[in-house]
Amino acid sequence: MRTASIDNRNFLLRRLHSLFGLLPVGGFLIFHLWENSQSRFGQLHYNEQVVGWLQSLNYLTLMEIFVIALPLLFHAGYGLVIIHGAEGNWYRYPWLHNRFYWLQRISGIGILLFLVLHVGWTRIWGIWQPEIKADLFSHMQLLLGNPVTFLLYLTGLLLAVFHLCNGLWTMAISWGLTTSVDAQRYWFYFCMLLALTLSAMGVHGMLGFIA
Amino acid sequence: MMGKTIDLQIRRQDTPYSPPYWQTFSIPYREGHNIVSALMVIREHPLTQEGQLVDPVVWEFNCMEEVCGACSMVINGKPRQACSTLIDSLEQPIKLEPLGKFPVVRDLMIDRSKIFSDLKRVRAWIEIDGAWDIHRGAPRISPETWKESYLYSRCMSCGCCMEACPQYGMEKAFVGPAALAAVRLMNNHPTGSYHQQQRLHAIMGDGGLSDCGNTQNCVRVCPKQIPLTTAIGELGRQTTLQLLRDLFGKS
Repeated sequence: MRTASIDNRNFLLRRLHSLFGLLPVGGFLIFHLWENSQSRFGQLHYNEQVVGWLQSLNYLTLMEIFVIALPLLFHAGYGLVIIHGAEGNWYRYPWLHNRFYWLQRISGIGILLFLVLHVGWTRIWGIWQPEIKADLFSHMQLLLGNPVTFLLYLTGLLLAVFHLCNGLWTMAISWGLTTSVDAQRYWFYFCMLLALTLSAMGVHGMLGFIA
Repeated sequence: MMGKTIDLQIRRQDTPYSPPYWQTFSIPYREGHNIVSALMVIREHPLTQEGQLVDPVVWEFNCMEEVCGACSMVINGKPRQACSTLIDSLEQPIKLEPLGKFPVVRDLMIDRSKIFSDLKRVRAWIEIDGAWDIHRGAPRISPETWKESYLYSRCMSCGCCMEACPQYGMEKAFVGPAALAAVRLMNNHPTGSYHQQQRLHAIMGDGGLSDCGNTQNCVRVCPKQIPLTTAIGELGRQTTLQLLRDLFGKS
């Protein structure tokens, strides 16, 4: 029998978009923030133990492309398609989840713009400038030492953490994990607690470079 | 006009294609007025605040007890039932607008046929029998199931949830919260569950369940307090399981 879920790609694409937001993209964000929170252990430790260890991984480029770049590009691209369908009602309904619905979309666009800069300044620039890869700590110290870039990074960080945690909340409803009002509420508390924790971890990591 | 008044600003539109305009009416204050009874007073003497005699305001109403869904309109910015909205509970001047997600027929009267075509799209009915008598009594339903289903059975297709939903619109494919809740209701009925798969496939298509943006505005504006977001969560689970069946085979 022909089935809508397979013949009509809409549903599968939406679910893939939802899944990719958590795995691998969200998972990578958490890993990335944990990884960089180790900046506080100093230049030597960061360059050798954190970045050095990562760069010594086999098949690293393949992983970067298939586990990070492509899922992220799909999530971003299809996300833009989803945003296209929204109709403005920010003022009329001042309720939290309505506001978060809009913030989810605004943060998505914000993160995309931030990532172009962020990836450009670090990973892409590092292709032509091996010094950046060799001493990423100093490179980040230089970048974050500038108050404008620091603010930019702080904004990008908070947007990304919000987008992941609010996405985690809506994902639980979309996939049918949380159905009752109480389950949705407590899961929301958990997601917001996670947002606070990840934000703290991220800010801690940023401060570690310039301390 | 002397003494205390009730002031109503009404968004008017003469034909489906003419531009809308605003008119203000004042009627003498009386305790216990609701929006429908106030509109009836205006209809008797359709005199604007400027003293101009105009065509009476057109709107729909029917049951006067919040069960038919006909008198939905946007009252002071929120979609509500005009019959159950008491004037004394509102800030004045009271602003009345037609629901914005549907084509205006005239003034506050809108064409809600999209709601019914969406209900048809998701197969929101139960096939009790065919062209013949099946000689079977009604199936038994446990009190728990009955209690839950009763909440959803109160939907009157008034359109308030669609009005508040940023994902819903005339040009959009999304079927809206009410049609989804109807799927939840029919799927959980013993006889209705025969066609659960067809309904799930319908809401797994274009404009189905995954178009929901989780603002949860629907559940806040629903005049019947229908747990629409719980229905959406439950359908999320049903469609997840259906997807697994479609992709990997039945359990």
